Amino acid sequence: MNNLIVSKFMFSLLSAFFCLALIVIYLPIIVMIVFSFNSGKYQTLPFREPTFEWYVNLIADSSFINSFFTSLMMASLASVFATILGFLAAYAFSKAKIPAHALLFGIVVCPLVIPMILIGIGMRLQIVSVGIQPALWLVLLGQTLYVLPLAVINLKNRIDKIPKSMEEASISLGSSRLKSIVLILAPICAPSLFATLLLTFTFSFDEFVIAYFLTNFEITLPIRIWTSLVTGFEPKINAVGTAVFIFSVTLGLIAQFILLFKQAELNKH
Amino acid sequence: MVILSLTTETGFGFDNFKLFFATPHLTQALHRSLILASSATLIASLVAWPLAYFIVFCVHKKWRPLFLLAILAPFWTSFTIRAFSWQLVLSDNGVVTWFIELITGFSVTLGILYTMNASIFGLALFGSMLTTFTLYGALVSIDDKLIEAASTLGAKPFHIFKDIIFPLGLPGWLAGIFLTFIVCVGDYAVPTLLGGGLKPVLAQIMLSILKGTYDLSQAATIAVVLAITVMLCGLPLIIYGLAKRNRTAV
Repeated sequence: MNNLIVSKFMFSLLSAFFCLALIVIYLPIIVMIVFSFNSGKYQTLPFREPTFEWYVNLIADSSFINSFFTSLMMASLASVFATILGFLAAYAFSKAKIPAHALLFGIVVCPLVIPMILIGIGMRLQIVSVGIQPALWLVLLGQTLYVLPLAVINLKNRIDKIPKSMEEASISLGSSRLKSIVLILAPICAPSLFATLLLTFTFSFDEFVIAYFLTNFEITLPIRIWTSLVTGFEPKINAVGTAVFIFSVTLGLIAQFILLFKQAELNKH
Repeated sequence: MVILSLTTETGFGFDNFKLFFATPHLTQALHRSLILASSATLIASLVAWPLAYFIVFCVHKKWRPLFLLAILAPFWTSFTIRAFSWQLVLSDNGVVTWFIELITGFSVTLGILYTMNASIFGLALFGSMLTTFTLYGALVSIDDKLIEAASTLGAKPFHIFKDIIFPLGLPGWLAGIFLTFIVCVGDYAVPTLLGGGLKPVLAQIMLSILKGTYDLSQAATIAVVLAITVMLCGLPLIIYGLAKRNRTAV
């Protein structure tokens, strides 16, 4: 605590506010988790006897399971593509002299500052006007583009901190540029690459709009959940919500831990 | 490709836009989108300060990432699921009602769910997390020595805040505000699940057009109106950013 700018009174005020914020943030999620074990059919208190019924139902429901695997596949592929492309792009932005550097970088990170729904609609209109049928591979393409900026920004932060001399050393010792990227840079960036992979995976796994607009029949998990929510409530949703929450938060947390602590370590040097 | 797809939409002539502004249903939705997004952004921008301030100045360096993650963890789950979980809490027979009844003994009707206020609340919560994150980034890089120096020279905490912390945190704060506004104006999940379908915002209308009437030119028109709105709202910030960059460059 920094005594110079935070008095005792301010400190207690701020920590109270922080705790309040934590309660507000986590209350609904805890409620959802609790309800997922509630045997009552309606989502009201008091709590009836605990049950695993909804989880069993969930596993038995092939539409949920299928959509889960579709999502898993999409997210895995999209995150791998985005991480590889992002690594190469980040390398280029960090080390190479490219004409119109700022403009290109702006274009790459542009999807971050456009509402998702506009990207979704834009892509849909585009494929319709070109005459392509909505399909899963388009979702893959769309989601890769959607998570690419995250990958580029994360990895660029890392590559910026690697001294140029390392690469120069390997090149002067006779390795090709590609070889030095693969053998020298990639291992140095391995934690960041892994974190980026997880991060892009979670974002793509939870992505709804692009998937919604670019497919007709192959459904991803967020779409399945959405359909169920707007057409009428199923108690299973609590269970699937809990599962998805734990799944993505774990992945996201691991990724963030790696990034934040690595960064703190690098700043120390 | 994204840019390409966005620009092709304008090739429809202006009749669509005339139609857009002549349809009260749509202009009301635009109005609603703007009010919703700006109130949520306003609340978020105010809430973010004490949160980021606490994490940066009241917590030991070592623990800062942990505290930040505590705020940000739910950020990584889907929007839809978070919006839905608030339904459980806010609905007329949800947890809040139950709790109030338990304490006071009276039966109450909360009447919050499926109103604009519920949407604003949901989006503001999301925006607070986002803005706290960007503001944290700005505040954490303030050099301790700067604050120490000011303090040795006799500056009171309020002046340190006004003259050092606020100006240095400003870029992070503005970035957060900008991003929050963008997310809120284009969101469909919170307005649908918390705000209900009776008073739709533009994003909801777009969604229903594409899955319902499939009037693509209308959807495109709405998209362009939304895009222009976002650009107009972002313009002051971009100009500010460029001006600032030029100043530091000189």
